[in-house]
Amino acid sequence: MFGRLLWKLLRGSGGRLAVAILALVSCAMVVSALLNLEFDIERKLTQEFRMLGANILISPSNAQITGSSPAELMSEREVWAAIQNLKDPNVVAAAPFLYVVESAQNRQVVVAGTTLEELPKLEPTWRMEGEWKSSQDQPTVCLVGRNVAQQLQLTVGSPLLLTYLGKSAQFKVVGIIDAGGAEDNQVFVELPEAQDLARLPGQISFAQLSVSGTTKSLSRYAARLASALPACDVKPIRQITEAEGDLLSRIRLLIVSMVVLISVLTALCVLGTMAALAMERRQDVGLMKALGGSIGRIVTLFMAEVGVLGAVGGFVGAILGVELSRWMGRRVFGQAISSRWEIFPLTIVLVVAVALAGALPLRLLGKVKPAVIFREQ
Amino acid sequence: MATLVQVEELRKEFGIVHALAGVSFNVGSGEWIAIMGPSGSGKTTLINILGGLDTPTSGQAIVDEVDVARLDEVGLTRFRAQKIGFIFQQFHLVPYLTAIENVMLAQYFHSTTDEKEAQLALERVGLGDRIEHLPGALSGGEQQRVAVARALINHPKLILADEPTGNLDEANEQTVIGLFRELHREGHTILMVTHDPAIGNLANRRIEFAHGRLVKATPSNARVSGLF
Repeated sequence: MFGRLLWKLLRGSGGRLAVAILALVSCAMVVSALLNLEFDIERKLTQEFRMLGANILISPSNAQITGSSPAELMSEREVWAAIQNLKDPNVVAAAPFLYVVESAQNRQVVVAGTTLEELPKLEPTWRMEGEWKSSQDQPTVCLVGRNVAQQLQLTVGSPLLLTYLGKSAQFKVVGIIDAGGAEDNQVFVELPEAQDLARLPGQISFAQLSVSGTTKSLSRYAARLASALPACDVKPIRQITEAEGDLLSRIRLLIVSMVVLISVLTALCVLGTMAALAMERRQDVGLMKALGGSIGRIVTLFMAEVGVLGAVGGFVGAILGVELSRWMGRRVFGQAISSRWEIFPLTIVLVVAVALAGALPLRLLGKVKPAVIFREQ
Repeated sequence: MATLVQVEELRKEFGIVHALAGVSFNVGSGEWIAIMGPSGSGKTTLINILGGLDTPTSGQAIVDEVDVARLDEVGLTRFRAQKIGFIFQQFHLVPYLTAIENVMLAQYFHSTTDEKEAQLALERVGLGDRIEHLPGALSGGEQQRVAVARALINHPKLILADEPTGNLDEANEQTVIGLFRELHREGHTILMVTHDPAIGNLANRRIEFAHGRLVKATPSNARVSGLF
């Protein structure tokens, strides 16, 4: 009989309840989308921040990284052994750098020896005219910065002769870099070529890594790397990690605030609808009490009705919210937010709680006095 | 005849208004009592107190050995479910429940529902073919018969009827009164508020109220004339 009564209550008040369920579906939709965003924002932000380039720098202890002097150097083999031993799958890219000032066409240029194939992953924001180096290319190809190309009148395909202390090597320009920074004044060649020219085999100035994951996991990884390389400084690049952490905190606060605000507004909307419904049902409640219905049983019936509304609204809204979050992801991050199954029960529970909070006027129906109701008529 | 209802010095005050000003009377088990009097004389207040819908300011209202005045909210709820069958002038059916569901609602609040028994109750009042109709699809007389079936479904000790024919046309009034006569013959105890002397005459006794006081208690003409 309880189920039958519940069904009849829902059917009997369809018009009025439609307003409440619309509010609950809307609430669930936005809350579900925001929660999806909340769960996925860290991954998305990490991806976005990885676009800004390397976030861990390994350098010789107390070295001044100027990009112009190889005064302090490290062992390439030791650094690479440490990175590979940690076997962290979050390492997106890693590249060693050896900086040497060499001459080209009687001009001084900064030459960076590195792993050219890692550069697109390490510096995804660089714009490139021509091509990144591929595995099919000869080791004697190079990338030149925009300013160097201008000064030396180089284009894609031009030869470039680099000389260091009487030793020369011929390179072919395959791409011109527009980095918007100091890199525009540099020439990038393969590390072994730079080491050979500079007569510094196995030596590097520093190494850069791009590591995905949260700010905390990044710090943990840096600490593990530091303990594996006691002779080196291993530091997360502070500006990027702090900006990431700060932005993440702000977005999370915004999301939580929005969820709370939407929940409160929905509860108020449900409250208004239920207040009107409670007025309509005073007579029914008076009658039920006259027939021997206990307050608990009657209020349970009405609360179950609201609970069903909340569950249905939460379920429908959660499904719509997944679509909304995908749309938001595409608009904000250029790709859909991944939906999480935990969002469904979480949204439904939250919306049921919102519905029950908004059903306060129905709880007050328990105080209805049948004699008073009948006297009013 | 065992006493089912015992009312002693019953008072009910609404502020300065004395709805009941010290009423005393007894009702024997199986009696049909007509409570009469002008509007505002305290008839409905008496019914409400005896039915556990209201509490007296002072005095005793004992129904089937239970002093209603001493019951708390929970006790009153159980009392209403187990001992009282109400029939109201306005019928008071739940508009979104069918006839049979309205009857089953009383079963639900009493103990457990039995659809077959509810159907038999409706067949008894001549509505066997209207059980799935909503109140809005029933005439006033039919609605009142649903209310009678609902009042009887839990086999109450006392049937309290407040102007049960007040909203009915003559034909439906006769049908409903016929039902009451049948219930009385079966031994049900009935307290019925009515303005209609003809209906009052059908009862065993008439109790007349004025200004919250019992002014006259007489055997009805019908009883004298040996109708029962």
